[in-house]
Amino acid sequence: MLEDELTVTTRQRDGITILDLVGDVTTFAEEKINGAYREVTGQGAKNILLNFRQNDYINSAGIAILIGIVTEVNQNNQKLAVSGLSSHFQKIFRMVGLTQYASIYQDEDEAVQGLNGKRA
Amino acid sequence: MDSGLQKPNSTDRVVELRLPSKLGYERVAMDTASSIATRMGFKNDRVESLKTAVGEAVTNAIEHGNQHDAAMKVIVMLLVQDGELVVSVADQGRKTLTEDCTTRTPRIAEVMEKADKGGWGIWLIRELMDEVEFGVTPNGGNQIRMVIHLER
Repeated sequence: MLEDELTVTTRQRDGITILDLVGDVTTFAEEKINGAYREVTGQGAKNILLNFRQNDYINSAGIAILIGIVTEVNQNNQKLAVSGLSSHFQKIFRMVGLTQYASIYQDEDEAVQGLNGKRA
Repeated sequence: MDSGLQKPNSTDRVVELRLPSKLGYERVAMDTASSIATRMGFKNDRVESLKTAVGEAVTNAIEHGNQHDAAMKVIVMLLVQDGELVVSVADQGRKTLTEDCTTRTPRIAEVMEKADKGGWGIWLIRELMDEVEFGVTPNGGNQIRMVIHLER
């Protein structure tokens, strides 16, 4: 009742694997995020975009999940970007240091251009 | 200041919530805090910071202090004062917060080396609120008291 369960869908655009994340990013999201990441990694994804949809609830447990993802991204020599975060969560990501491991873009278009080496 | 008209501790300025120790109920505290802060005139980015801090404090009380025992309550008190909102979150203290928990500053590079990537909640509260104190309730529970100031 109180959870806005996370939905993760996967798609491709211009050589980028995009994971659309809609809903809450809390402890309940762990299996879905990790499952989607491991699936696309198994399929050979090199450039991955976590596309948030202005999610209004990302908590410290969600941040821990995302730190797990950046850890694996580093080990797997992938590139990770993040888009669609509200300004509050952009600030939180900066405070935590996630921005050292994943570039933050305002929206999907900017992120796709950035990951493909073009300036937005 | 409007001294005399409104006593800061008058009960008509206190909102109290008793929440079951079940994850998800922290949202009720977040929404309540957001509603009060918005009416007090806090700017949107400060309201968002408050929501995150309150969510973390209540989640911590549910998970650690009350060990997910739904029969145990998390007590949230929101006190509207002149120019500030005081929020205190108390649990029933099945597990006490250690000093290390309340003072630690996690570093992402170190956290990435560990199996447990967590431990950010209390640090976030300290970073986002203007004043934070950790104490113990008369019943031995943990209590976090946090204050956010209204910028004029």
